[in-house]
Amino acid sequence: MARINTQAEFERVAKEAAGRYWGRGLTVRVGMASCGLAAGANALYDVAAERVKGNGNGLSLSRVGCRGSCVVEPMVDVVSPDFHLTFGNVTKAGLESIIDAAQANDFSSFEDADAVWQERDAPRTDGTLYTTRRGTHAQIPDISAIPFYAPQRKIVTRNCGLIDPFDIEESLARDGYAALVKVLTENDPEGVIETVLASGLRGRGGAGFPTGRKWALTREAAGDEKYVFVNADEGDPGAFMDRSVLESDPHAVLEGLAIGAFAIGASEGIVYVRAEYPLAVQTLRNAIVQAREYGFLGENILGTSFSFDVSIRIGAGAFVCGEETALIASAEGRVGEPRPRPPYPAQSGYKGAPTVINNVKTWSAVAPIILNGAEWFAEVGTESSKGTAVFCVTGTIKNTGLVEVPMGMTLREIIYDVGGGPERAGSEIKAVQTGGPSGGCLPKDQFDLAVDYEKLTEAGSMMGSGGMIVVDDRTCMVSLAKFFLNFTMDESCGKCTPCREGTRRMHDLLEKITSGEGTEEDIAFLEELASYVKDTSLCGLGATAPNPVLSTLKYFRDEYDAHIRERRCPAGECEALISFRVVPDKCTVCGACAKVCPVNAVVEAGKAPPTIDQDACTRCRTCFEVCPSDAILIE
Amino acid sequence: MEAESPRTDSTTTGQSGSLVAGVSNKVGSVLVVGSGISGMQAALDLANGGYYVYLLDSEPAIGGLMSKLDKTFPTNDCAMCVMSPKLVDCGRHLNIELVTYADVKNIEGVPGNYNVEIVRKAKSVDEEKCTGCGDCVTGCPSRYVVRPPDEAAQYAPELTADDKDFVDRLLREEPDVEGNLLAVLQDVSEYCRFLPEHVLKYVSDATGIPLARMISIATFYDAFSLEPRGEHTISVCMGTACHVKGSGLLQSRLQDILQIGNGETTTDGKFTLQTVRCIGCCALAPAVRIDDETFGFVMVRGLEKILKRF
Repeated sequence: MARINTQAEFERVAKEAAGRYWGRGLTVRVGMASCGLAAGANALYDVAAERVKGNGNGLSLSRVGCRGSCVVEPMVDVVSPDFHLTFGNVTKAGLESIIDAAQANDFSSFEDADAVWQERDAPRTDGTLYTTRRGTHAQIPDISAIPFYAPQRKIVTRNCGLIDPFDIEESLARDGYAALVKVLTENDPEGVIETVLASGLRGRGGAGFPTGRKWALTREAAGDEKYVFVNADEGDPGAFMDRSVLESDPHAVLEGLAIGAFAIGASEGIVYVRAEYPLAVQTLRNAIVQAREYGFLGENILGTSFSFDVSIRIGAGAFVCGEETALIASAEGRVGEPRPRPPYPAQSGYKGAPTVINNVKTWSAVAPIILNGAEWFAEVGTESSKGTAVFCVTGTIKNTGLVEVPMGMTLREIIYDVGGGPERAGSEIKAVQTGGPSGGCLPKDQFDLAVDYEKLTEAGSMMGSGGMIVVDDRTCMVSLAKFFLNFTMDESCGKCTPCREGTRRMHDLLEKITSGEGTEEDIAFLEELASYVKDTSLCGLGATAPNPVLSTLKYFRDEYDAHIRERRCPAGECEALISFRVVPDKCTVCGACAKVCPVNAVVEAGKAPPTIDQDACTRCRTCFEVCPSDAILIE
Repeated sequence: MEAESPRTDSTTTGQSGSLVAGVSNKVGSVLVVGSGISGMQAALDLANGGYYVYLLDSEPAIGGLMSKLDKTFPTNDCAMCVMSPKLVDCGRHLNIELVTYADVKNIEGVPGNYNVEIVRKAKSVDEEKCTGCGDCVTGCPSRYVVRPPDEAAQYAPELTADDKDFVDRLLREEPDVEGNLLAVLQDVSEYCRFLPEHVLKYVSDATGIPLARMISIATFYDAFSLEPRGEHTISVCMGTACHVKGSGLLQSRLQDILQIGNGETTTDGKFTLQTVRCIGCCALAPAVRIDDETFGFVMVRGLEKILKRF
């Protein structure tokens, strides 16, 4: 492919790409992001590849990224110019019959399958160019009838799972780089910043700083060299949307980055990715090569004087490097320790030059804003938080996955409508944890809270990078708080004392409480320590580390009290405070528990129900999980 | 050194004979074991209260750990500013006798009347005459000669020709080694499976980047190890979703099966076990990754079967 040098050339290439993409014959698309691969998508791809080689009949095959519905992985889409069907929980045999049915264009046998729906995706260009896909299979539900997808509004993840991340042409077919071309043609960097400012886009990394303002500050800052960074060091446990976006649609991020670089006057961009995301690194590397080939990166982009290139830096497993000053230190090849701000990176960042650092999702949201206008984006969301929020809904919930919903949706809608409610029948969702180790736990009476930056902070949690972990009554909140403290204690870089020592002391206190040795004074001391750590830490990691403790103390004080006063763990999780017992009335003496016990603590008694040797038992829960008749009791 | 001996504490209660009935011949001197900040403060309080105090430490100098700290929690006070007046007071107090570079060998007796046997290590300096001028330290001809421990001297593998080629090529292809030190170390780590000292030394010699800087990076980031690692790395995800779904149980079961602790390598060098902070497969929780392969919805009872595949 030769470089694209003019707007007209770009339009021709994009139009041809769109023609191929929308007009392509029967195609099997296998979802092959990390979740899909872990669920066995590779085997499916091989099955489909065999079919293409054998009696293909014009069948083609492509790999796509993540659709967000992780719970029904592996997923396969079958697409033709007339229809677009998505199948979840696909087996190898299932895929064969799906291909058979698609080739016969007869899906009547798929009536009862639960994870099947038809997509309504269509080219943006008013449908005259290519046929809009119509549902030709009346028995298969439309995507709007699927509760998981119906309330979603995809802006950041607009192309995820719909394009091949390794093929720039598919991105071009779905408006990829159109915004960059528009910006370069109009040649008005201030105008770009104004549009972003007017759209109300705020940093999607968690703190929510207005993106337009950050850009304007960097543009105004003195300096010939300026830099743009993608913060893809997504360290929050329970958040994987950045990985998903990079694995599924890397060009969206690169395009946003190039637009940002043009707006602030930078000529070099750096993507800082976690080492734990090998596939994301691979897609990005490939995307950068392709973008250079097409002339979207490199010297004199689109024949203008704007030159810009991107390189990748790979993290080395330090959570604190998600903090912007630590990230810069790490990118410069130093130990990733944060430094006090100001000066902010907008004034003095990478190599001392003005630097914009934005999250993957922020960059990904830029192109649609430029293309569709600030009003289009600002229409969605609440007064102070515009646009959409991307959440990773996980934990003990039915529809785990990646969702993008308008800001201002309530937690209840996200958890029960999109998420489908509790995973186990009969259990009750007790709380939701947002914002990772910096956030907090909100109890179910706060579920009517509309999700935006301010409301979540007011309630004692925060937006964070968008992890949303749902917990039911089997999770101990004290233990959960301890888990987060253990995380921050471990990940504290050790530069400042409050964070290094304070998180350790708080963790010790929680350890004491969960092992049944806590006293009332410990809680008071915990609160005091929390306020010290919060007020005196150097960076956001320490300043927000006490949040999980403070929020659980606020909303789940009764669980702390139960541990301290009654030496009891209400959720039956804290090992020191529980024991397992066989309920003779329920036990069917099937022997399953004795068979799985790793330490032979289940003492069988012939035809009578077994007993559990409390001294040998390691409380690993295996017997509890395998018992078919719920005869194992935790007390 | 750190011993906060309750035995000496009980002699310091000062309430004569209240602890053990019938002990009336209380001797008016106290031994404080350990001369860290709390030991020094205890010695000063006692000495000011009229007791003669022996302040003992196994190190050649008093002061303990606090002298190594910059700031103290939670007030961020300067550590030396807090402790140096106490150091001076302890040294000059007429009621305090410093017994440094010494260990407690034996304690006999009852509260109120102890006989303590102390072993003083040889200092080869006459303390009565020494004024602490420091001239002997500056004048010592072998002060700056580095003497590595014996086993370290034995273990100094030479760079193989392959290793050397690899590192040379790496450094040649990287124009800005200092700025991209992280990436260079990642490549070395991938090639050697850990960061061997002799390779780091070679990189340091070739680039002029101090070895200490590489070590500081290697110990800061989780991805690096200065110890040899196993053939396969098992990473148990400890993300929140995995935690809620019981990844802690997976980790403890793996430790039992492999008979190693977290971060350790099996004796046969096959597996290294580590925890990792979220591999981003939260929807498949609990997840375990072995090398590049991710396993979702892992059950405690399924672990052995997974391990057998490797």
